[in-house]
Amino acid sequence: MKAVASELRFPGFAVFAALFALLLSPLLAPALKKKAGLLFARGQAPAPSSIKVIDLIPASLSGESNQDSEPFLAIQKDNPQVMVASAFTPNPFSMNGNAPVYVSQDGGVSWALNAITPVQRMTCDITHAMATGESHPRGDLHAGTLDCSSGVMLDESESVDVASSATMNVQSVRGNVDQPFVRALGVSSGDRIYVGVNDFNQANGQTATIDVSVDGGATYKSVPIERRKTAGQDGPSVRPAVANDGTVYAAFFGWRKFDGKTATSDVVVVRDDAAATGANPFQALTDPSDKQPGRVVVKNASIPWSNAPALGQERIGSTLSIAVDPNKSSVVYVGWADKGDKGDIYTLHVRNSTDRGVTWSKADLPGTTIHNATNVALAFANNGVVGFLYQQLSGGRWVTHLVQSRDAFSSSEDVVLATVPADQPAEQFLPYLGDYDYLLSVGSEFRGVFCANNTPDFADFPHGVTFQRAADFGARTLNDGAGNPVPISIDPFYFSVPVIP
Amino acid sequence: MNISSVLIRSSLWAAGLLLAWCGSTNAATSQATDDQATLLGKSSIVFSGTVSQLAATSFADVPKSAQTIVVRVDSIMKKPPAVSLKSGDSVTVEVKDASVFQEGAHATFYTDGWIFGSGVAVKELGHVLGQPSEPVPAPGVGKNAPGQAEGQLSDQELKERMNESDFVVVGRVTDVHKWNAPKKSGSPLHVTEHDPNWHEAVVEIQSVLKGGQVKGKRVVVRFPNQNDVAWVHSPRFTKNQRGIFCLNRDKSTGAPMTKLGSQEVSVYTCLGHGDALPLSEEARVRALLKNQ
Repeated sequence: MKAVASELRFPGFAVFAALFALLLSPLLAPALKKKAGLLFARGQAPAPSSIKVIDLIPASLSGESNQDSEPFLAIQKDNPQVMVASAFTPNPFSMNGNAPVYVSQDGGVSWALNAITPVQRMTCDITHAMATGESHPRGDLHAGTLDCSSGVMLDESESVDVASSATMNVQSVRGNVDQPFVRALGVSSGDRIYVGVNDFNQANGQTATIDVSVDGGATYKSVPIERRKTAGQDGPSVRPAVANDGTVYAAFFGWRKFDGKTATSDVVVVRDDAAATGANPFQALTDPSDKQPGRVVVKNASIPWSNAPALGQERIGSTLSIAVDPNKSSVVYVGWADKGDKGDIYTLHVRNSTDRGVTWSKADLPGTTIHNATNVALAFANNGVVGFLYQQLSGGRWVTHLVQSRDAFSSSEDVVLATVPADQPAEQFLPYLGDYDYLLSVGSEFRGVFCANNTPDFADFPHGVTFQRAADFGARTLNDGAGNPVPISIDPFYFSVPVIP
Repeated sequence: MNISSVLIRSSLWAAGLLLAWCGSTNAATSQATDDQATLLGKSSIVFSGTVSQLAATSFADVPKSAQTIVVRVDSIMKKPPAVSLKSGDSVTVEVKDASVFQEGAHATFYTDGWIFGSGVAVKELGHVLGQPSEPVPAPGVGKNAPGQAEGQLSDQELKERMNESDFVVVGRVTDVHKWNAPKKSGSPLHVTEHDPNWHEAVVEIQSVLKGGQVKGKRVVVRFPNQNDVAWVHSPRFTKNQRGIFCLNRDKSTGAPMTKLGSQEVSVYTCLGHGDALPLSEEARVRALLKNQ
C-alpha cells in the first residue's frame, strides 16, 4: 500500500509524460535499441548476459587459420543438447579424409570436429537437419552436400549417430545441381526430408526444385516447383519451410531476365498442405495474375549478381529465407535482398502472410528494410515470436543482428551479436562470410550460427563471447596452444538468445 | 620456415626414427613387421606416449569403447600444423586390438585424426611397443613446425594423386587465356556461385614422368580461374610458370577436344590440390613414382 501511495504523489505532468512515453515506446524502442546495441559494442566490457556466443573452433585446432565460412546448424529437437554445425572447414589432418562437421552434445557449450560427411576434405555447400522420427538419440542427421572434388555432385546422406566415426550413409547422388538446403520433420512414421536445390537437370530452365523424401531418405523424388517461363534458370536459393501440421512452403527466385550482372526476379512462394506426399505437390497456392502454382510475393525485383566481392569482401546475389510458424501454419514470413534504394548495394526486405500465403503485406514490415546487408535468416519460436538474423556492412564493420518481434515488427528487440572489422582478414575465397547463416528455435531459445572475424576482442562481441581455441583477450591475439601466434581468420560462431516473452 | 627445409627436416627425422628403431632393444611387437616408412607416410599424427587408461577416453566428445585407450604424450613426431598437441597432453587412441596394451606401456602410435574437441582423439594405423632408445623429437615441435607444411601433400597423398593422374609432366606454361564453352543451340543457362570461369593454359612439356609420349610436346590444360570455394584448392596457371603437373583427360568442361594450332588435340585438367608442384619437388616426385 505504501508503494501505491507514493506513486500517487507523482505530479500530474509526470504521469502524463510517463503515459506518453509508454504509448510511444513500441515506436521508439527498436530505434533506441539498435542505437544502443551499436554504441555498446565498442570499448565497453560486456555485462553478464543470458546471451551466449561461442567460437566453434575447438581447442585442439587452435593452430588453424582457415576461412571457415558459410555456417549451418541442426538441432536434435527431442534432445536439444545434441547439435551439428558446419562450415567450409577442411579436414584438419588429411587431404583425402572426409570433410568434417562440428558436434555438440552439451547444448552448445562445447563443440568437437568429427569428419563424417561423405565428401572428401571440404564440402563446397552443406546444409542439414536433424529429424526425430527414427528415434536415434544422436541422429538422424540428414545432409545435403556438394562435392566439388571433380565436378559438382550432390550427396543426400544420413547419420544415425553424429558422435560416431561412421561416414554418413549416402542415399542419393546426382550432378548438375546447386545449393542444397535441407529441412526435415520427424513424424511417427519416420523422417520427412525437404531439400531445396537449383536443379539444372529440369526441363525448360525451370530449375527451382524440392527433393522430397517421406521415408527417411531411402528414396527421394525431385519436384519442380517453378511453373513460369524463366531466363534459362531460376536463382540458386530454393528454401523450404515445414510446419508441424505437415504444411510445407518453399520460396525461390523466379529469374525472368538475367544480363550477367542483374537478375530481374520474382520472389515466389509455393505451398503443399499434405507434407508433399501427394501426386502433384506444391500446387496449393496459385497467383491470381495467371492462376499458376506459386504466389508471386514480389514481381520483377532487381537483384544484383556478383561472383566477386561486392558488399565489403562478400559476394551477393541470392540471399533468401522463409519461415512458417510451426504451430500456426497460416503464418509465414519471407525475407530476401535486392538492389533496393539508389546508392545501396544490397537491401534486405521482410514481408509476411497470415492466410497461408494467399495475400502478403504490400510493403516491408516495419524496420525490416535493411541497407547494405545480407544473409537473412528467419525463424519462429514456439510462442509465435519471429527471429530475423542478418549481417550488415556498416561503418567498415560486419554487424550481426538478431531482431525479435512478437507483432510483425510493429515493435522489436534487436541484439547485436558481433561487430567486427570488415576488411580483415583478407578473403581466401568466396563466400567470405557465407552465402547464408542460419537461425532455429528450440524451447525458449533462438539458436543460430554466423561467421565473423575471430579477433579475440570483447569489444567486438557486445554480449560476450567464449572461445574454445587458444586466445589472449588482453593482447587480442590467437595462438596455437603452445604460445605461437596464429593469424586471425573467419570462424563460425554459435549463439543462443532467449526468446522474448 | 620454407617447404624445402621442412621436407629436409622431416626426412632427417624419419631417417633418425628408423635408425632409432633399428637400435632399439625393446622393439618387438605385433606391428614391427609392418613397413614402418609406409606407416609413417600414411599417418597424419605420430607420437610416442605412455598408456594411462584402458577402455577410457580423454574428453567427453569421444564415444568410449573397449578399443579406446588414453595415452599421455611423451613426444610428437608428426602432426598437422592446425592441430594443437604437445608433450604431456592426453590423447584418446582408438586401437585395433586393445589386448596388447597395458597401463604404463610405452609405444609409438601411427595414427590418423578422428575427433578434435577440447582434446585430440585419433585412430591407430599401427604401433610399435616400447620406447625408442633415442627418442627423436619432431623438428620444431613445441614451436610452430608440424613436420609437414600447411597445405603440403604428404608422400602418401601425392602418391595417390599421381596414381589417379593420366600424365605427370614437367613443363612450362607458354600461354594462358580465357576459354568460353561453345554455345550449343538451346543449351540452358547455368549461372551458379560455383561457376569455374574456365581458362586454358598451354603447357610446353619438357619431360613426361608418367603417361608415355605426348603428341606435339604441348598440351592444353583447362583450369578454373574463379575464387569460389569449389575451386579454392585447384591450381591457377600463369604464363612462364614452370612446374610439375598432374594431368587428367578433361571430363569436366564438356568439350574434351580443342584446336592447338592446326591440330585437334585432347584437353587435360589439373584440378586437385597439389596437382601443380614447384620444380623443387621433382626429386620427391621421381622417387615416389619409382617406388610405385
